Order: sequence, then C-alpha cells, then structure tokens
Amino acid sequence: MIEFKDVSLVYQNGTEALKNINLSISQGEFIVIVGLSGAGKSTLIRSINRLVTPTSGQLLVDDDNILSYNTKQLRKLRTKAGMIFQHHNLVKRSTVMKNVISGRLGYTSTLKSIFNLYPKEDLQLAYESLKRVNIEDKVYTRSDQLSGGQQQRVSIARVLTQQPNIILADEPVASLDPPTSHQVMTYLKEVNREDKITTIVNLHFIDMAMEYADRIIGMRDGEIVFDGPVSEVNEGTFEDIYGRKIREDDLRGGSEANEPVSSFNTEDEFAQTRN
Amino acid sequence: MNSETNTLPPRPKQSKTSLLKKYGLGLGFLALIIWSIMGTNEKVDWTRVFSMRTIENMDRVIPKLFQPTLDKLDRVLELMLETLLIAFTGSFMASILAIPLGFLTAKNMMGNSLAGRIANFICKLFLNAVRTFPEILLALIFVASIGPSPFAGVLAIAIGSTGMLGKLYGEVIETIDMQVVEAMEANGANKIQTLFYGIIPQILPDFLSYAIYRFEIDVRASTILGIIGAGGIGTLIVISQKNRNWDEVSLILIVIIISVTIIDLISAQIRKRLV
Repeated sequence: MIEFKDVSLVYQNGTEALKNINLSISQGEFIVIVGLSGAGKSTLIRSINRLVTPTSGQLLVDDDNILSYNTKQLRKLRTKAGMIFQHHNLVKRSTVMKNVISGRLGYTSTLKSIFNLYPKEDLQLAYESLKRVNIEDKVYTRSDQLSGGQQQRVSIARVLTQQPNIILADEPVASLDPPTSHQVMTYLKEVNREDKITTIVNLHFIDMAMEYADRIIGMRDGEIVFDGPVSEVNEGTFEDIYGRKIREDDLRGGSEANEPVSSFNTEDEFAQTRN
Repeated sequence: MNSETNTLPPRPKQSKTSLLKKYGLGLGFLALIIWSIMGTNEKVDWTRVFSMRTIENMDRVIPKLFQPTLDKLDRVLELMLETLLIAFTGSFMASILAIPLGFLTAKNMMGNSLAGRIANFICKLFLNAVRTFPEILLALIFVASIGPSPFAGVLAIAIGSTGMLGKLYGEVIETIDMQVVEAMEANGANKIQTLFYGIIPQILPDFLSYAIYRFEIDVRASTILGIIGAGGIGTLIVISQKNRNWDEVSLILIVIIISVTIIDLISAQIRKRLV
C-alpha cells in the first residue's frame, strides 16, 4: 500500500516537479505512468524509494511516512523496493552473478559482502531469479558482453533477488527495440502476477501501456491528469494527457502477438555473435 | 549519383575579427621565435663551438662510447637492479597513497557540501604543488634530510608519483557511471558496499594501468637519482664520467636502454590486457 497525500516536490533550481499529488496504490497492482518527458513521471517514481525527497506532504508506504526516515530506515525501505532503470545500470565489468547478488546487499553485513561471503540460499535465490528471466546460462559472463535486452533481464533478476514488495521501473524499455521491449514487459507482468509485487512502470509508449497495465496514471506538468483502469482509457484520454494529437512515435509497435518466439532467438543469437 | 548532389555546401565565411586574430597570433608566434634565436646568437660563441678543440674532444669520447667494456658488468647489473627496485617501491607506495587523494579530488565523490568542496580544493592544490617538483629536486631534499641512500630515492619517487597518480585517479573516478552508483543505493546498499560493488569494479583496471605506466616513467626517472646520491645506477654514471671511463659509461647506457625497453614492452602488454 502506497499513499501520496498532497505531495509536492520543488527542485533546487525552482522546478516544480510534483504539484499536490494525491494517489493511492494497493498491493499487487500493475500501474503504468504515462506522460511526456518532463511531466514528473521519474520524480514520482523516485519519491517512492526516496532517491528524491518531496518537499511537502506525506508519503506513506505501509502506513509509515517515509519522508521522515533516517538513513537506516531508508536502506530498509530500499531493500524492499526494487528499481529498474532505462540504462540497466549494471556494473559492466562485473559478471552477471556479481550484479545479481548485489540485490542482496541490503540484507548482508558490510564485511561479508566485501569478501563475497553470501549464504548458500542467497546464491541459490540469485540463480533462481536468473532462471525466471531465462538468462541463467549467462551467469558467469561479463555483463558488457550481453545485449541490451539481456542486460535489462539481468537487472530484473537483480531486483527479484531483493525479494521486493514494490518494483519501480523508470522507462525500462526506452532504449530497447520493439520485440525486446515486449519481452521485458512480459517478464515484469509475469513477476507482478506470480509474486503479487506492486509494479509501477514509467512508459511513454501508449500501445504498451494499454497492453500491460491494469491501471494507467497520466501526468502532465507535475500533476496527475488521469487515473483509472485500462478499460476506461481510449485515444482521447491520451490526447488529454499529452495535450496534443497522438503521433507515430508515441507507439512502440511490434506487439508480442506478431513476433512471438523469434524475438528470444534473434536476441540471444545476436549476443552470441558478440561473444 | 550525379556530381551536383556531391558538391559540398560553401564554407561559412569567417568574420574579419577572427581572421585578424588568427593572423595576428601567427605573426606574434613567428616574432617570438625569431627573437629567441637572436637572443641565443648573442650569448653563444660560435667560433668556440665550431673549433678544432670540439672536434678533438668528440674524437676522444665518441669512439669510446661505441666500445663498451664488460669489466664492471656485475656492478652495473647490481645497480640497475637497485634502480628498478627503487622505481618499483616508489611507484607502489605512490599507487596506494594516491587512492585516497584520488577520491578526495573527484568532484562526484565529494558531494556539494561546503566541507566537501573545501577538502576537494585543498587536495587539488596539494597535488598540483607536488607535481611542480621534479624528482631530482625531491631527491635532493630527502638526501639532505635522511642521508644518501636508496631510500631517499624511493621517497622522492613515491612523492613525485603520488602527485601525478592522484590527479589521474581522480579523473578516472570522475568519469565513472554514476547511474550504477544510484542503482546500488536503490538496492539498499550502504556507502561501503556501494564502493566495493559499484565503484571499484569500474575503476580498478584504469588504476592498475596508470600505476604500471607510472612505474615505466619512474624507472627512467630513478636512473638519474644516483647522480645526487639517492641510490641506483646514476651514482656509477657520475663516477665513471669523472674518471673519464667512457667505455664504462657506454656499458651503463646500454644496460639502461635495454632494461627500459624491456619494461616498456612488458608494461604495454599488461596494460593492453587490463582495459
């Protein structure tokens, strides 16, 4: 349960990124936030794990106001809120395993983590997470030898290793091609359904939002201008959110139905040619 | 394709002031060179440079340089080894001393607080100051303070190299992918864990590469330290030169050239593999 109560955020340069946001998200929802760049989507998502700190209002995660958290409480919160980034943010020179196990850092004592002393269960969990995104054969590969889609799957595995209650995904498919984008979204959706993890995804592709979301939140200029289930959404809604006509580049295309299994093959083959 | 589509658009016309500046700078530079040549002309006694005496001197010294004697090979090799050890110990000390300085001079590590910026400024100033001292001058100071011994040379090399390595390390740290650091923070990792999992894997190869490169430079620098009694092969150069044993000087030079070349080759190979 995440609740925004009159949350505002003004950056130091004076930009009002969030304006009096009121929002309530229940456990297990799959929410897609849409809006143009600069609408405040990233800021909204980053408030939930306090990578940015709202300047006023209350933000409750499980009935606890996280805006008053100290460093220790913050670490605990972040352990339970996994985050996926547009550029994967893996350590390129480290192996896939080292990247994925870093999802356990919040649970592991500093000394043990420095000397790589993880309990067997943690290593097993990391491997299971890789299996869930079908990339377990790359476990000892260096991350920079993977393709973009594979790297994004590793970063999903890293988040799963955290055993989070919430997954925050900030433009997870913006730097991927259409088939790979659908693959990544499908994994996110699967995880959401199977583990009942609240998932909040920033997207700017309308068709993808419609295909995967349970609920869509539209943002413009730091305000929520639409909030409702997918069934209530039509093209007019998006035109309202974007404040302009829908264009070709607002759509990702290449839906899974068109190219089902081939996307997996081509991508792995692509990575193999690079190895 | 016809030739019309291949023609380039005309160059944008340069403004008169920028043309004037260019020619002005060119002429100024030319004048500087002419003036400096005229300056040397007044100070140099050309009749002495091109006299029979010069030719006689050269005739005596140069053939000897091409006839190395192997009499003192043991001693030369021993001192060359000492030189290498001075360089190694010095650059090893520097490569460790430079790490904290590197972090302190990296803007992205010090944050935006006043204390951080002051520490950053002081460290940069310190490194700049250190770098202005040539090794030979540092060696002079240490020979004066701890007496003529190889250890004085080690300290001179260590301090001199710290100046350069600290700056290079700082620059490496400034170019790391901070998004990875953000991802670690979002995992719930603490500062030390972020350092070991997010930062060190990114910087380690570059740090090693620079340390080895610096060792290469230090080998060359330490051959000369002996001239002022700071250990190494330089001592022998001075003695042989004073005794006019040009064949010995020749042997020493050959040994130095061979060792430096070998070390350059090895270090280039290692560094190629690191990055």
